[in-house]
Amino acid sequence: MGVKARAQALPGHEINVEEQRRLSVDGLLPSTVMRPGDADDAARGLHACDLASAAVVVWGGGTQMRLGAPPRRYEVAFSTERMTRLLEYEPADLTCRVEAGMRLTDLQAALRAQGQRLPLDPPHPERATVGGMLGANTNGLSRGRYGMVRDWVIGIAVAYPSGKVARAGGKVVKNVAGYDLMKLHIGALGTLGVVVEVNFKVQARPEKEATLLGQFEAPAPALEVGLKLARQYLAPAAAIVLDRDSLFESLPPPLAGEARGGGGGKTRWTLALKLDGYAREVEAARDQAIRFIREAGGGVEEPEIPPAFWDAARDWAAPADDGVVLRAIVPLTSSQRLVAAVPPDARILAQPASGVVDVRVPAPSAVKTLSRLRLAAGVEGQVVVAAAPVALKPALDVWGPPPPGFPIMRALKQALDPNGILNPGRFVGGI
Amino acid sequence: MDAADRELLLGRLRGVVGERYAFADPYEMRLYQYDASPETALPDIVVIPGTAKEVAQVVKLCADARVPITARSAASSLAGGTVPVEQGVVITFARMDRILEIDIDNLRAVVQPGAVNLSLSQALKPHGYYYVPDPSSQGACTIGGNVGTNAGGPHTLLYGVTVNHVTGLEVALASGELVQVGGRNAAEATGYDLTGILVGSEGTMGVVTRIWVKIQPLPPVQKTLMAVYPDVATASNAVSAIVRTGILPAAIEMMDKLSIQAIEAASHAGYPLDAGAVLLLEVDGTPDVAEELGERMAKVCRENGASEVRVARNEAERQALWKGRKGAFSAMGRLSPDFYVMDGVVPRTKLPETLAKIHAISERTGFKICNVFHAGDGNLHPLVLFDAFKPGQYEAVLRIGDEILKLCADAGGSVTGEHGIGLEKRENIRYVFSDDDLEVMDRVRRVFDPQRLMNPGKVFPGGGLTPSHVPMPPGYPRRQPGAVVAGGDDLWV
Repeated sequence: MGVKARAQALPGHEINVEEQRRLSVDGLLPSTVMRPGDADDAARGLHACDLASAAVVVWGGGTQMRLGAPPRRYEVAFSTERMTRLLEYEPADLTCRVEAGMRLTDLQAALRAQGQRLPLDPPHPERATVGGMLGANTNGLSRGRYGMVRDWVIGIAVAYPSGKVARAGGKVVKNVAGYDLMKLHIGALGTLGVVVEVNFKVQARPEKEATLLGQFEAPAPALEVGLKLARQYLAPAAAIVLDRDSLFESLPPPLAGEARGGGGGKTRWTLALKLDGYAREVEAARDQAIRFIREAGGGVEEPEIPPAFWDAARDWAAPADDGVVLRAIVPLTSSQRLVAAVPPDARILAQPASGVVDVRVPAPSAVKTLSRLRLAAGVEGQVVVAAAPVALKPALDVWGPPPPGFPIMRALKQALDPNGILNPGRFVGGI
Repeated sequence: MDAADRELLLGRLRGVVGERYAFADPYEMRLYQYDASPETALPDIVVIPGTAKEVAQVVKLCADARVPITARSAASSLAGGTVPVEQGVVITFARMDRILEIDIDNLRAVVQPGAVNLSLSQALKPHGYYYVPDPSSQGACTIGGNVGTNAGGPHTLLYGVTVNHVTGLEVALASGELVQVGGRNAAEATGYDLTGILVGSEGTMGVVTRIWVKIQPLPPVQKTLMAVYPDVATASNAVSAIVRTGILPAAIEMMDKLSIQAIEAASHAGYPLDAGAVLLLEVDGTPDVAEELGERMAKVCRENGASEVRVARNEAERQALWKGRKGAFSAMGRLSPDFYVMDGVVPRTKLPETLAKIHAISERTGFKICNVFHAGDGNLHPLVLFDAFKPGQYEAVLRIGDEILKLCADAGGSVTGEHGIGLEKRENIRYVFSDDDLEVMDRVRRVFDPQRLMNPGKVFPGGGLTPSHVPMPPGYPRRQPGAVVAGGDDLWV
């Protein structure tokens, strides 16, 4: 069959060149697009793709499309952009049910109106969708204290290539009926089905928020203080350690100028703490943090930090440009060893309270740095490529070696997507 | 399994675990036919392995022989989760009960499946840390069992259930492989989150041999309040009011009039006997914050109909208030020779109408029903009181249970919040999941356990799902799907 005939035989709508380019993934262009209106519509669409053996790439807000290996093939762009409704929200139950295409900022705005929040802060929430957050398992900076996506999702509806919509979990915060398939789909990059609806538990907004910066000459004491704080009852909501250049990038221009000008040139590492909770606890947490920072030989600053700082830090590991981001996930005490292994041409944002170290590295040294970090991560850690341009991907083993239990993972893929139409090739071990 | 096959397999199993630790004498095996549910079934063989490697070898031998495997530890399952309804081999973890590692620096502990839940928190206490999930049976139940059912407890309201605290598992698969998924890291291993799917799978996917859990610092102060209400509806509305204030309580428990009477008779916790309902509320915090939140909660309780609010002034008073709640189930013996406990969940806001409907069922059927439950997360534990020696009562109680679960499901809730589906609710699961939902779950199960040997007869409805047809090797009789529950003479003890 010729290319044109194949495109005509594919399900979905034809798209123009501009759209094709917008929906390209690692240089591959889709032939058609599907924009289902609801869960059943999505399942019908997927079934049509399955019958035609059409390779599907699922699209939410597109903020994590550079994660993963290049797709083996790509024919249909499957977008959740029409599925943006808040389906149910009962503030007194602290639960809500939303469509997968809803943007995080829209969800947070609805919750905020009731004094509540979902304590997850993935990058670029103004574009990122609920479904994309699940698929890519994007956990923000507050994960050490508030947990990960898997801790807040209480139910899902998933459209499968079989044409069925199947649910798991439910609408209540405590529920052990049936298998917890939510866990299977979170972080699966859409390779097992398309999440179409998500039920969350939510919580009351904190009474107070505050930011504190500790300045250090070396990364080790900054990481040590961050980790020590994580072991306290009054742990910070977020603790990040940044090198100087990363800090500049995270500050809006006037402040960046001040930071660059001041500091005497000696303080090269910043421990930024976000504190939240009941007002008195925030004060106590602040006092505790100041004490720990000083004890470790650091300087304390309490500048007027605009919220934009935390937004920029949140988005740091998902750059809009073609940068390479390596993400190490290690046991808490290994983050020092990992940071020590980062070469000087790379920049760092580490989360000592959750064992995550994000590293931005220039393209020419990406391969070398990746293998060095994998060595440093040791057997209990792992390093994945969180973002990279397609040209580099063949040289970068983006997921690393298949994990233990990989045969089970491959069999799960076979069981739920037998014809391999969902994001083929993008996931771990070629799944 | 016929006698010759049993002898054959027993010999092989003894070769793995040693003579002492595998047995098939019906008298010795009597203990292993029970859990805390009313159902019983005698296994063919009981094995007590000492190491993970032995577990994997036992699993492999059983899988090769197409013999069902049921793992159990304390067997405190209230849902029949560990009753070997299709006979076969019971693996019990009496010898694998150690805390292997306490790693304060990484905020982790590593335990064997037979480690008792409370023993971990006790071991952590001198360090100032604890393991959060605290089922009421925590003095007996094991962390392996908690992983099986994704157990909860009163304090999961704020901190989450078992799955939120488990970061890795070592598991013996039906293939005989011993695989580690996740580990000391954050629960974010490369690939699919197999740890997450295994927790709560009720032993139907594999046999867990080692568990990595999160630990966290003990709160400096736990402030506990008791609020007294004229009836459960007023108390339920107070729960919603508290949740809406922005306070995040660590626990909100409710006991109704009948439960209060039983508890007071048994443990003198100090609950007023004339109360229609009592709420037990707890907040964690630094001393001044806990004090402030305690006062704020007391105020909200009073504004929402509490006739009395009592604040525990010290740890002894706090323990007394909790002692009543944690001993509630055993206190029921004061009221009735037997009780049947349910585990339904409804959205918090549906508590008043659900409790009213349960009350109506009690009135209509003449069976007394107590309610002791986790009100903060809408997890109901109606206890239907009955006498198993009166003909027909047990059957009637099962029908009542069924009706209650149906109304929880219809209210947008679930048929189990923490006890698991087990044997008991495998038909009730249809109230919350369609055939399509169950079919996907069954596919996932078959990936782990293609021969359906792992804790068969649990979680899934008895009929309706297509069985995977596995050819039997010569010499092994085909087990009967939905086998008759054996040994039914030992109802609730």
